[in-house]
Amino acid sequence: MDSQGSPRKAGALLLLVVWNLLFCQNVHSLPICPSGAANCQVSLRDLFDRVVMLSHYIHSLSSEMFIDFDKRYAQGRGFIAKAINSCHTSSLATPEDKEQAQQIPPEILLKLILSMLYAWNDPLYQLVTEVGGMQEAPDAMLSRAKEIEIQNRRLLEGIEKIVGQVHPGVKENDVFSVWSQLPSLQAADEDSRLFAFYNLLHCLRRDSHKVDNYLKLLKCRIIYDNNC
Amino acid sequence: MADFARRQKKPLIHCLSQEKGANMKGNVVSTTALVLLFLNISLLNGQSPPGKPEIVKCRSPDKETFTCWWKPGTDGGLPTNYSLTYQREGEKTRYECPDYITSGPNSCFFSQKHTTIWKIYIITVNATNRMGSSASDPLYIDVIYIVEPEPPQNLTLEVKQPKDKKPYLLIKWFPPTVIDVRTGWFTMEYEVRLKPTEADEWEVHFAGQQTHFKVFSLYPGHRYLVQTRCKPDHGYWSKWGLESSIEIPSDFPTKDTTVWIFVAVLSAVICLVMVLAVALKGYSMMTCIFPPVPGPKIKGFDAHLLEKGKSEELLSALGCQDFPPTSDCEDLLVDFLEVYDNEDEQLMPPHSKDYPGQGVKPTHLDPDSDSGHGSYDSHSLLSEKCEDPHAYPSTFHIPEVNEKPENPEENIPCIPDPQSISKEGNGPYFPTDESKSSTWPLPQPGQHIFRSPYHSIADVCKLAGDPAGALASLLDKAEKDILKSSKTFETGGEGKVDEQKEMEDAHSETKQDASWPLLREKAPLIHGKPPDYVAVHKVNQDGVLSLYPKQNENGHQPEKSRAPEGNKEYAKVSGVMESNILVLVPHAQATNMALCEEPAKKAPPSLEQNQSEKDRASLTAASSNCRGPLGGLDYLDPTGFVHSFH
Repeated sequence: MDSQGSPRKAGALLLLVVWNLLFCQNVHSLPICPSGAANCQVSLRDLFDRVVMLSHYIHSLSSEMFIDFDKRYAQGRGFIAKAINSCHTSSLATPEDKEQAQQIPPEILLKLILSMLYAWNDPLYQLVTEVGGMQEAPDAMLSRAKEIEIQNRRLLEGIEKIVGQVHPGVKENDVFSVWSQLPSLQAADEDSRLFAFYNLLHCLRRDSHKVDNYLKLLKCRIIYDNNC
Repeated sequence: MADFARRQKKPLIHCLSQEKGANMKGNVVSTTALVLLFLNISLLNGQSPPGKPEIVKCRSPDKETFTCWWKPGTDGGLPTNYSLTYQREGEKTRYECPDYITSGPNSCFFSQKHTTIWKIYIITVNATNRMGSSASDPLYIDVIYIVEPEPPQNLTLEVKQPKDKKPYLLIKWFPPTVIDVRTGWFTMEYEVRLKPTEADEWEVHFAGQQTHFKVFSLYPGHRYLVQTRCKPDHGYWSKWGLESSIEIPSDFPTKDTTVWIFVAVLSAVICLVMVLAVALKGYSMMTCIFPPVPGPKIKGFDAHLLEKGKSEELLSALGCQDFPPTSDCEDLLVDFLEVYDNEDEQLMPPHSKDYPGQGVKPTHLDPDSDSGHGSYDSHSLLSEKCEDPHAYPSTFHIPEVNEKPENPEENIPCIPDPQSISKEGNGPYFPTDESKSSTWPLPQPGQHIFRSPYHSIADVCKLAGDPAGALASLLDKAEKDILKSSKTFETGGEGKVDEQKEMEDAHSETKQDASWPLLREKAPLIHGKPPDYVAVHKVNQDGVLSLYPKQNENGHQPEKSRAPEGNKEYAKVSGVMESNILVLVPHAQATNMALCEEPAKKAPPSLEQNQSEKDRASLTAASSNCRGPLGGLDYLDPTGFVHSFH
């Protein structure tokens, strides 16, 4: 039985892979340069197109998540007032307007972006876990959380590749912003727990917008020479 | 208002005047009075502190500056000053609005210098007048979430008619001036809409991030209106820009021959495919669309039989179950003939109640008990035995209810005296069914058989283990009993008898009393003693059935070992020859045979071989499972030939 089944399985798998290659054109398709392909050289333009697409998508999801959560759980609780200055990435020296963003060198900006993405790895994972544990969480929220987590990892890969092409030899970033709000996410008090979620989603929305904006800036600067 | 004030004043003054002596009280009272007075005066003048202002909205057109507008509350009748103060996230300092003018009245414009992206602004508007002040609710905003650009600018329309190409309308525009798209700080998306002047609905097209758009499908000679709008990658849509209009020239070619060519080719292909399909599968298609009307079909009708000219077979093939036609089964089952081996034959009414499955039962000779009736040990049972009726221990006994059940050694009589039998004018029925067995069904050993030696044929048949239904259908008044017994037998035995069929057969066949001309070697025993019964020894060419008693006690498994003799079945008794020879009519239901599990058996020659074979040769082959749709049993009216008995 097995001997009969395995060639068939292999055939089916091969067919599936070919199908994916041919028809899956969106960002959710195969990764660029699967590991092991030494001579794989994707152009910088394609890399940037890809990461911009990813970052745009991630921010759309984050925005929807926040708006949903706000409408559903946070009305009249005054969470926004409490959410002032409470993002764990606020310690990162990110540019805060156009001039600052244009003055900063691209490599530094890329490093900053990478730091931010690394800083969000753990919180996103915890978000997925906690939203999954929430009984009252709507399915859309959970699926969005999972999607964001997945796409965030892909975005990280892409930017690392860009860094490898634009500024090879750059040392890895040692500064990690630590997120320490897990206990709040798991708090027994409903109000505290909801605020923890609100805060996390609010910060995620903002940081994803930052990343998106910086990448679009960089793309126009590096690829199109400020002539988008 | 004035009246009210006056009314207020009066009691106050009255009080005051009355309590002159109380100094302390007087002071308090006076103060209160003054305050009230002041208030009353104010009310009289209509002055009050300002109402609470409300911040309407804040918008950023370019992600570099933003403006907030507020709505003032009531001003309290006094000139009211409005001031906007804000505080940024992470800072303690509270600032005031830098520019109240640029954006119009009741607004505050935040220039680039004062705008920080990705930071929450906490904005409050204060209204102050002489009477007091009031503050609005604070508004928390982040500039990136309030971006709403201006509409696109410099919308241009142009009808282009390139040579050898389709003409189109080219729409071009520019992003709003303040937007910085070049550096990538701002990413803009556009939308275009157009309509003929007289139309009601706009035709909207999303143009992505490009600043031009081509429209191909236009009505010549019409005037078109065009508008555009834009939106940041994450933000609000702008308003629709200024309308532009253009006249489409009348010579704008709209005919598109390529479309028609494509349509023609497609139709041709489809027609070709259809023709091929029809050609290849025309018949099946026709059959599908116009299904053939089924002609009349008579179940069991075999045209070949008709050709052969054997009407009996034909009729039997048709399954004429009520042939000969009978009106009431019950009557026919009432009496059955008891045929002894002597000339005295009496008809004994069956007492079916007493014995299960009583009916015309072939008397069986119990080989074990030599009752003196003799046993059928000769091959040609009928021939031998019938020659000397007296010698036959077992004549055909129409089963007699009164007979003791434990009298299995009923003579298997020869074919009973037709006269005696034909008390009711019934003759013996020799039901056969489609089963191939041409021997009388033989009871299986070990079957519980009723006491009475006279059993319905069905019972007997069952005993034989063959589909005894045919036999069972013999004249048995208690058809149900037959069935019951059959059932017991069946379940005990083969279990394949179709009770229902037996019933039907019983009905059809046992219309008349029939002395069961079957020669059964053994009377069915109730107590598990395998009975003796007659097995068809052979069948002659002209359908003469010769029976002989079954000597084999144990190996009464009929049919199984019996090799099929052929497909001829004997469905009816066409006559009885002398010396108790039954002339059977071959049953042409070859097809029904197929249903039978028993191999087709025709008695004849191979019969003499072994007992089992003989056993097999059960006339009726009343295996109900061998019964085809016709029920398999056709019986001739033995009246015709009853007289031939004897």
